[in-house]
Amino acid sequence: MLRIDALSVNYGAVEALKNVSLDVPPGRVTAVIGANGAGKSTLMRTLAGLEKPLAGRVLFNDEDITGSKPEDIVRMGIALVPEGRSTIPDLTVAENLKLGGMWRTHAQRATSLTRVYALFPVLGERRHLGADTLSGGERQQLAIGRALMTGPQALLLDEPSLGLAPLIVTQILELVEHMARDSGLAVLLVEQNAATALRVAKTGIVLNLGEIVTSGPAREIAQDEELRHAYLGY
Amino acid sequence: MEALVQRFPGARLGVNAVTALVVWGLLTWVNQVIEPLMSYYLATAAMYATAMFGMTILLGLSGQVSLGNGALMAVGGYIFALTSMNWQTVPILGTPWNAVWSMVFAGFGGVVFGAAIGGIAARLRGPYLAGLTLGIAVGVPAIANRFPELLGGENGLMLQVPYPAGGYTSGDTSDEAVDDGGEVPLDEEPVYEELPDDFGDFDEEFTDEFGDELDSDPGDLSDEDLLTEDDLLSEDDFLSDDDFLTDEDFTTEDGFEAGIDEEIPEEDLLSEDDFLSEDDFLTDEDFTTEDGFEAGIDSDAGADLDAGLDGGSEASEGADITDPAADLDLAGVDAGLDAGFAIEQWQASMAIAVACVVGFIALNLVRGRQGRVWQAVRDDPIAAAVSGISPAGSKISAFVVSSLFAALAGAVFAQILTYVGPGAFTLGLSLSLLVGIVLGGRNSFIGAIIGAVILVWLPEFVLDVSADRGWQDQITNNAPNFIYGLLVVLVVLAAPGGIVGGIQSLAGRLRGQAKSSSSP
Amino acid sequence: MIDFIDYLLGGISSGAIIALMALALVLVWRSTRVVNFAQLGQAMFTTYIALTVRELTGSWFLGLIIAMAAGLVVGVIVHFLVIRPVKRLDTSGAIIATFGVLIALEALAAMVWGGDPEAFPPPINNSGYEAFGRIWPFSPYDLLVLASVVFLVLALSVVFTRTNVGLAMRASAFNPEVARLSGVRVNRMLVRGWAIAGLVGAVAGVLVAPLSTLSPTSFDIFLVFAFVAAVIGGLDSLVGAVAFGIGTGLVIALVSGYSDSSNAPLVALVLLVLNLLFKPEGVFSHHKARAV
Repeated sequence: MLRIDALSVNYGAVEALKNVSLDVPPGRVTAVIGANGAGKSTLMRTLAGLEKPLAGRVLFNDEDITGSKPEDIVRMGIALVPEGRSTIPDLTVAENLKLGGMWRTHAQRATSLTRVYALFPVLGERRHLGADTLSGGERQQLAIGRALMTGPQALLLDEPSLGLAPLIVTQILELVEHMARDSGLAVLLVEQNAATALRVAKTGIVLNLGEIVTSGPAREIAQDEELRHAYLGY
Repeated sequence: MEALVQRFPGARLGVNAVTALVVWGLLTWVNQVIEPLMSYYLATAAMYATAMFGMTILLGLSGQVSLGNGALMAVGGYIFALTSMNWQTVPILGTPWNAVWSMVFAGFGGVVFGAAIGGIAARLRGPYLAGLTLGIAVGVPAIANRFPELLGGENGLMLQVPYPAGGYTSGDTSDEAVDDGGEVPLDEEPVYEELPDDFGDFDEEFTDEFGDELDSDPGDLSDEDLLTEDDLLSEDDFLSDDDFLTDEDFTTEDGFEAGIDEEIPEEDLLSEDDFLSEDDFLTDEDFTTEDGFEAGIDSDAGADLDAGLDGGSEASEGADITDPAADLDLAGVDAGLDAGFAIEQWQASMAIAVACVVGFIALNLVRGRQGRVWQAVRDDPIAAAVSGISPAGSKISAFVVSSLFAALAGAVFAQILTYVGPGAFTLGLSLSLLVGIVLGGRNSFIGAIIGAVILVWLPEFVLDVSADRGWQDQITNNAPNFIYGLLVVLVVLAAPGGIVGGIQSLAGRLRGQAKSSSSP
Repeated sequence: MIDFIDYLLGGISSGAIIALMALALVLVWRSTRVVNFAQLGQAMFTTYIALTVRELTGSWFLGLIIAMAAGLVVGVIVHFLVIRPVKRLDTSGAIIATFGVLIALEALAAMVWGGDPEAFPPPINNSGYEAFGRIWPFSPYDLLVLASVVFLVLALSVVFTRTNVGLAMRASAFNPEVARLSGVRVNRMLVRGWAIAGLVGAVAGVLVAPLSTLSPTSFDIFLVFAFVAAVIGGLDSLVGAVAFGIGTGLVIALVSGYSDSSNAPLVALVLLVLNLLFKPEGVFSHHKARAV
């Protein structure tokens, strides 16, 4: 569904991604892991349209969407949950959610909203409170919820574990994995926390200094001690 | 150049001094050979340039967008006016150069106000600074109304400018000078009433048989329109016997009463002696020049005579035959003219002198350490602070320097207008300064000068064009500002470095290198 | 005491109008982080249009409506002149550009309509109500002004808080990247912010014209007052703009009443300076003062 083809991206003067190719199939989680500075966030931002690639293509359902604007990419069905708490504290929880997918029909949005409240009950409880009253984990849920409101076919998660307790991280990621299996969502998960990521992912891709070192079934990568030591820090 | 300075620390000062002197000399020579109207333009341009140098430092090097410099020109202008008016004849420290002292006071006032504003401004960024100085520019003219006796209120103060020739002039001079000058761009231009196109009809419609104007709607006659007793002729209006001259009215000094019909005694009649004879007329022999050359009235040397009558500077020999008006205590303008120069020339020479002095100071500041400090704070205040430079201090110093220049420019302005008043220092003036520096190039002194020239030239250019094409006054008067506004937007979008920046990047591109336009 | 009340009453409608003007400034600031110093120049221009329409058709209301439409259009035009290309440059570029627009608009107005101050007659009676045996400094026109401002502010707050467009505009102002990632066409929202600000300014201009005179530069002083009000309220705060707009109008009325009207700008400046020195982010702002 989502294919990255020989993507090269510069971040300032640095070559952040060199000739990266990978597939993000539907119905499962694909994890991109690697140390800090490996180029993971650049990959995500480029897919979402926030960065322009130097070379290479991004294909979505066989359509070349390279260089499209972020707001257009979202409408096509690719939603990014960026690094950090990407919620707007000045708005309420409900408003944050309703921000997503305004172009969809009322019925579609209503369905999505119900689903999000079902997935993340705490959001439903606090829907009229300011987003600044949420804890870190709750805000991450809100961010994912907002992305889901856009009715995506592909979901990009950029380091959702940052600053969150391990238990919460596991909860959220397992939830995402279930969603992927249930609804056929193509999930691309980028993580520094390789262990947790590999537990929920089907495929693992190891990135180092902008290049792909290896890719394969997540379980195999998780069990490859040499690999883990060299690139994943454990 | 840098190497030279390393070896001789005074070299930079010397180079700047030479530059300033050369420019001064050049401009002074130009001033002598051009006609008075051009001298007026030169004076105004020099005055603007003085203020612009301050804008180069404030906006260009220090990166602060301030609309306060018009108000600071007002400070300088008013201080100059007040001190020169009230202390005309009081020698200060034994020197009679009161105009210079007034300038000094004006500059001092600029420094004080500049420090005050700068102290607040240093904490403000971007739009906050712009808004505050906008408020100052709008609010300052109103201050004159707060102290009407001292500051002259709405009508301002007339200046008595100490022109060298006639000593201190009377206030009447100012009327003439105000007619010549007073061109302040971006002000509310004087409004020219639109006369009706068919003036003839107007007369027909609105005068009655008595030649009096009727109300436009004759139906509404008020009491005033009706004839009253006062309007009718009475006996008093007619001449009577008493009104005619009689014999008694004619008396001579000697008590001689002469009737119109009586005979006038011989003593009183004019005789031959009373009439001019040939001997009384000047002949060729009477005309001798120093060289012993005898010239008739009709020969070429008559030109010397004529010259002697007209031009004081050339009339060394014909000193006896000078314009008698010089002996009278007429307005100093005439005296000045006879002394061999026009007021405009004097204004220009004064403005040029101030501009060159200010330019010299500016060059030294900008090409020295202070200039780099200002730019460092502008580009990266945090890095500058870490290097031991106080960002606030640097911003304040930029304010103080630009205020000093503005105040001096204001003092020059006051002398050109021979007038200070709220109408001369409006928001429009501050906006003009901004326009000039942006269009000319905010990062260079050449840009400042170009900006000053544009401010003087464009309105005149528009006047010429409008004269050719018969534009209405309200278009002619406002077209320059319209053009300025559009150009400013254009420059900001396409050529932020102004004209100078544009030329620099063009030159850079021609040379195939990327050139930075950050040094003046 | 009665003087005090009189002065306050006299200041209410000008306060309400300044509130609108401050609101326009805040709208633009929130969407694009620029203070549009040309805002009041735009208002002056659209007020001249209203005057012309009125002279041609005899209807004040039609003049108001057309001025509002013109305000939208002019707002969009100025946005494109100042913002789109300038965004890449430093903030001083945007500031200078707005002043360029102000200069051009004032000159254009003078070229089209002349520089003479014009009278803009009020649509209804502007002499004070009589009650309890005296004439109060509050007239039917003041009531109209107050009602219009209240209506406009309420309408705007409904649009902002209860509509999708309003939500999208607010989000675009608070965090354009997150808004983009939610599919909001952020650039369009910015343009709309400027358009609405232009409309608000146009209404303010038409309302204020009968209370003072209309000339190309007659709104300059209002720019100062509106700016002071917006800054003290907090450039991010719509509520602050309204509250301190009214406050500024009342203060001006008091100052003019108890001393001289020419003191008003100076008092406003003093208040601004005090605010900038002690609470630069504004009274109602919950953001810290941004380094622009």
